[in-house]
Amino acid sequence: MHDTTIRKKILVCCGTGCLANNSYSIYERFVEKLKDNPNITVETSIKATGCNGLCEKGPVVKIQPDDISYFKVSIEDVDEIIEKTIINGQIINRLLYLDTNQKKRIVNHMDASFYKHQHKIALRNIGEIDPLCIEDYIERDGYKALHKILFEMSPEEVIDEVEKSGLRGRGGAGFPTGVKWRTCASFNNFPKYVICNGDEGDPGAFMDRSIMEGDPNTIIEGMIICGYAIKSNKGFLYIRDEYELALKNMQAAIDNARSHGYLGKNILGSGFDFDLEIVRGGGAFVCGESSALMASIEGNVGEPRAKYIRSVEKGLWDQPTVLNNVETWANIPPIILNGANWFKEIGTDTNAGTKVFSLVGKVKNTGLVEIPMGTKLSELVFDIGGGIINNRPFKAVQTGGPSGGCIPKEHMDVPLDFDSLSKMGSMMGSGGVIVMDDTTCMVEIARYYMDFLSEESCGKCTTCREGIKLMLNILTNITEGKGELEDIDVLESLGNTIIKASLCALGKTAPNPVLTTIRYFRDEYIDHIVNKKCPAGVCKNLTTYFIDEETCIGCGICRKKCPVDAISGSLKEVHVIDEGICIKCGNCFTACPKDAVKIGGAAYAY
Amino acid sequence: MLIKIDGKTYKGHPGETLMEVARRNGINIPSLCYKKGFEGLGRCRLCLVEVSEGKRSKIVSACVYPIKEGIEVTTITDEIIKMRKDIILLLLLRAPDNEYIQQLVKEYEVKAPERYIQNDNDDCILCGLCVKACEKLGTKAISLVNRGITKKVSTPYDDPSKDCIGCGACAETCPTNAIKLEESNGIRTIWNRDFDLVKCSICGKYYTTLDALKFIEDKLASNEEHICDTCKKKSTASKFKESFQHIY
Repeated sequence: MHDTTIRKKILVCCGTGCLANNSYSIYERFVEKLKDNPNITVETSIKATGCNGLCEKGPVVKIQPDDISYFKVSIEDVDEIIEKTIINGQIINRLLYLDTNQKKRIVNHMDASFYKHQHKIALRNIGEIDPLCIEDYIERDGYKALHKILFEMSPEEVIDEVEKSGLRGRGGAGFPTGVKWRTCASFNNFPKYVICNGDEGDPGAFMDRSIMEGDPNTIIEGMIICGYAIKSNKGFLYIRDEYELALKNMQAAIDNARSHGYLGKNILGSGFDFDLEIVRGGGAFVCGESSALMASIEGNVGEPRAKYIRSVEKGLWDQPTVLNNVETWANIPPIILNGANWFKEIGTDTNAGTKVFSLVGKVKNTGLVEIPMGTKLSELVFDIGGGIINNRPFKAVQTGGPSGGCIPKEHMDVPLDFDSLSKMGSMMGSGGVIVMDDTTCMVEIARYYMDFLSEESCGKCTTCREGIKLMLNILTNITEGKGELEDIDVLESLGNTIIKASLCALGKTAPNPVLTTIRYFRDEYIDHIVNKKCPAGVCKNLTTYFIDEETCIGCGICRKKCPVDAISGSLKEVHVIDEGICIKCGNCFTACPKDAVKIGGAAYAY
Repeated sequence: MLIKIDGKTYKGHPGETLMEVARRNGINIPSLCYKKGFEGLGRCRLCLVEVSEGKRSKIVSACVYPIKEGIEVTTITDEIIKMRKDIILLLLLRAPDNEYIQQLVKEYEVKAPERYIQNDNDDCILCGLCVKACEKLGTKAISLVNRGITKKVSTPYDDPSKDCIGCGACAETCPTNAIKLEESNGIRTIWNRDFDLVKCSICGKYYTTLDALKFIEDKLASNEEHICDTCKKKSTASKFKESFQHIY
């Protein structure tokens, strides 16, 4: 049905993922083609929005109010979309989302398995509004919470509400936000500061980036509310300099909010003053640690300090400071507006609300997912993520970035909340979830994280700097076939010392990837050390490929996939791999339809 | 403020760190990065002790831990010894030939497995005392640069620093003798820069650099006599002696 009375909204995703796939040109093409187009009788508006989450299937174009979502749109599709969908109300089947779980194409993306299970609070506006347009934010109840606190609530009542909601810091540690605010408010020492930690650094995590890019005003509103609650007049946003679009959109939003009277002196005539300033971080991972971040804002080397005196008492320039993560700030306005009880209803008893996860790795649907706390890990990977690419065997997930750990498939029913993940030896962290299949080597994963941390530790304390270095050396030896069984004991013993003796949270959690892989995949370590074999075929020194004569049907797929012509064999006859030529890329292993390619151990003794 | 260390009660002042109370009372807590007069740095981690507050106990670093009324401190437990051994092992792998580290290795009976020893010896254990000393003097010529395993102490871009006065305070405070300071023919070389040495006007020995003298004179806005520490002490002592002779 084609209705000419309704205004049509075309939302073109211009999050970083879609932008990389040329979505801004698509947006421009729509603008150009719809301008003065005599065939168009409906009133249209085109918006460049923030990230829709399903980056893998971008660029995404949504048409409202018809609720039609198109994926993998290219610039050549624009004319057809205008012609068929905008003018004639037809759906272009080819561009609809193919749901691999439901095995059909879906018109409205909200019906897709990827989105159906989601509950958006922090991401509520992203993909629906133009982040540069403050009116869009206001239209979706933006700054209503600010009105409410300024004219209907005392600072004490604001803190009560946040505390009652049970919101816990989304940056990783899960400290109760309300308690943090209350403690800071209790100190009679001014000025006080409010800080937004936008130094997202975990490999594979991009939720904070997405919020800063796609809905900057919600962060601003959250921070003003905190400023009012703890009687602070100044806030800082610490954003890593690599996040170019986030910096641009945040700055534009701050300027806009100021000119609308939401920031600056005498906000909305309430008598309350509050302003924000962006500080650009140099990209050091450790500056995501709160005390290192504050040192960096002060202009000092980004090194953490001992926090026997908390930053709520002595933080930035030794003044009382509340620091929260981007996602935490994005939760504040809805909590104030809808009340603590509304928020508490979502999630579990001790983990209220939702959490944004960035689902990446060997999973079919990668992207940003916001789900209620306590959702099972299996639901995230299989129902939302659609399972493993090429339906390979699932092995483990890594949560929490370099501070987190690996959870094996036996524990896939673990509820995703702060406490359950910690019990597993892993961590919520910022919400990065990396899915791994049978071609992932767990020793190599541990080695990778130690390598990352050896560069990203600030290097201040001995245990973290030298401890990670020694762990890295030992793990490198094991992946190269030079490990010995006692190395596992040394890794465990040293890991425990690093956890207990290091100065800051980076060091105190750094051994987690090593300790959890030993805990859940000890056999794989032993395979590397004793049998000189990498069962995943990742560690090249410890891998050979051979073709099982019994299983090979001689289809020739492996021969075609081999980049160095190491495989020979005639059609319908058993194929053979020449070990001397083989570069161990594993193409034949993943390509074989009959699993006839097998992984063997080292070609020679080390 | 009263606190207990290894079962005995000691008096401390608000704002004091555990290390300060311990050192004042002759209690030995090992440390490489603590120096009296400097604020604690918490870098070397050797000063870990166990603090109990009511039923809760935790491992803290004594040089940065501000004391609280009623805490009970244990400076040696099996757990602490194990951690110190691990830390000494890590330092040994970094600075295997260092005399000071070797002393600790002997004391704590640490042995490094041969396989873990790599050939990138560095006497510097990054305690940061030299940087603090330079900062306290007001010169700020050196700092900790880079991060992670590439962290080191240096001048900006490893170039000869125009802020360095060649005073040698950094080398003086270094617990592992890692900072190279060479002197020959009236020239002192440190941090890739040469400095002219100045002779004591009494004993005639070289005792400081021209730049250091100028720095002090600028700070004090006066012209000091060029006298070395030893001669200064002697001359003060003789003045005392003289005046006391008149009294008795």
